[in-house]
Amino acid sequence: MELISGGKDQLIDLMLKMYENSTEAIFFFTSEGSTISMNPAAENIMDDHVLEQLKKGAENALCNVCRGYTSESDLTTCKDCYFTSSNHEDFTSFQVFLETVGKGIVPYAATFHVIDAEKGTRVFILRDLSMQFETQNKLQQNKMMKNVIKAQENERKRISRELHDSVAQELLSAVVDLRALKYMTNDTEVLKKTSESTATLIRLMDDIRNLSVELRPSALDDFGLEAAFRSHFKRVEESFGLTIDFKSTVKQTRYENEVETVLYRICQEAVLNAIKYAQVETIQVHLFEEGDSLQLNVKDEGAGFIVGDHPMGTGLGLYGMNERAELVLGNVTIDSEIGKGTTVHLRVPLDEKREVAK
Amino acid sequence: MDYTKEYQLQIEKIREALGCDIIALALVEPAENLHVLKWQYISGNISERIKKVVLQSGKGIAGGVFKNGKPILVADVEKFAAKEDLFNYPILKLENLKSIGAAPLWHSGRVVGVLLGGFREPHLMTPERLQMLISMSKSDIGTLDGKELMWN
Repeated sequence: MELISGGKDQLIDLMLKMYENSTEAIFFFTSEGSTISMNPAAENIMDDHVLEQLKKGAENALCNVCRGYTSESDLTTCKDCYFTSSNHEDFTSFQVFLETVGKGIVPYAATFHVIDAEKGTRVFILRDLSMQFETQNKLQQNKMMKNVIKAQENERKRISRELHDSVAQELLSAVVDLRALKYMTNDTEVLKKTSESTATLIRLMDDIRNLSVELRPSALDDFGLEAAFRSHFKRVEESFGLTIDFKSTVKQTRYENEVETVLYRICQEAVLNAIKYAQVETIQVHLFEEGDSLQLNVKDEGAGFIVGDHPMGTGLGLYGMNERAELVLGNVTIDSEIGKGTTVHLRVPLDEKREVAK
Repeated sequence: MDYTKEYQLQIEKIREALGCDIIALALVEPAENLHVLKWQYISGNISERIKKVVLQSGKGIAGGVFKNGKPILVADVEKFAAKEDLFNYPILKLENLKSIGAAPLWHSGRVVGVLLGGFREPHLMTPERLQMLISMSKSDIGTLDGKELMWN
C-alpha cells in the first residue's frame, strides 16, 4: 500500500488523533458484536449504564439506545437490523436514530462495515445530522411559506376580480333597471319602495366593492403602489377614524408585480398593527426610492412594545412581514420603544430596470 | 325647515333626559353620498373624528344594530365579547366609552338609523336606560323617526 510521505508511523499517529478528537462517534465491534473500542465522541453520547454494558462487550448493548434505522418503507425500523444483518454491503451508508445523553433522540448518518475480513472486525461510524435536519426543515418551511403566500395572493386576486367584475356589475344593472321604473309609473307608493330598494342595493354594492378591495385592490395591478396606498388609506381613515399621513416620492412608477404586492401587504400589516395596538390617531407612511432601493417607513408615536418580547395577537404578522420581504430579497427592521412608538422599515433592493436585483 | 339644527337639539335633549355622557345618531346619508351610514349627530363627544367614519352594515355597533334591527346593550366594554378587536368599534375607542346601549330607528319597515347612548364609566347603561332610549327612538321625539331622510 502506498503511504503518505511521512510513512506508516505518521499515518498511525494521524489515525489515532482522528479517533481521539473526531466529532464523529466511532465504534469497533468484533464479529460476534461485542465492543472492542469506542472513541470519546462515542462515549459522550451514551448514558453511563449503556456505556458500561458496551465496555463489558455485552450482547445487544447497542439496542438499549438504538431507536431503529431508516429503511425504504419506514422512518425507524428494526427489521433486518444493520447490526446482525449478514448483508453488510447494504449498510455502508444509512440513517439511524439513537437516544443520546442530553440531546434526546438524534438522527445520525451511519456507516457499518467490515474492516478486517479475516477476523470479521467491524466499524460503526456516526455523524450527527440534527443540525443538517434543522437547516433542511427551515429551508422547507421557508419554501412552503413562500408558496402559501403566492397561492393566497393568486386566489385573492381571482375572487376579488370575480366580485368586482361580475357580482358588482350585475348589481349595478339591477340598480339601473330599478331606476328606469320611474319613467314607467307615477305610483308614488311603488316609487318610494323602489327608491328604498335602490338605496339598499347601492349599499350592498359598496359592501361588495369593499370586500373586493380588501381581498386585493385592483388599483395595485392597474395603477401601481401610490394609487393603491392612497385608496387603502382613505378606507382605513373611513373605517377607523384615524389619519394617515402619507408621503410618497415614487409617483406613478411601476415596479415588478411581486415587489408591489410585498410592499402593499407589509404596509397593510404594519398600519393594521398600529391601529390595533399603538393607540394613536395619526400614522405616518413614507414611500421613497433611495439609491438602488425602494423603501417604506411606517411610523407611529404610540404605545410601542419590546422587540423580541412575546407579541400581542398571534405574532404571525411580524413573522409574515419578514417572510414576504424575503420573497423579493428585501428586509424589514422594526424599532420600537415603550411609550415612544414604533417604526417599521422595509427596504427592497432594485436593479437599474427597477426590477428585483437578483 | 332646517333639520340639522332640529336633530342636534333633539339629541341634546335626549342626553339631558338620560344623563348620558354621549348620545350619537347614525343616519343613512342621501343618495348623492351613496346612502352611506355615518354618525351624523353627536352630543357630548370628545372629538369630531368619529363623524368621519363610514359605518358598514353588519360591522361595529351601528352596523350591527342597523343590520339586525335589534337594540344592543354593552354594560361593560371590558367584558364585551369582542374586547380583543375593539379597534373594529371605533366609537368605543375614539370616545373612550365603557358602557353603551344602541337602538334602531325604524321607518316604513326599514332601519334608517341608529341611536346610541353611552357612558365613560362601566355599568351606567342599564336595561332601564336602554328601554328609555328605545322608546325615545320610537315616538317621544316626534321628528326623529327618520322619515325626512327618505325625501332629502
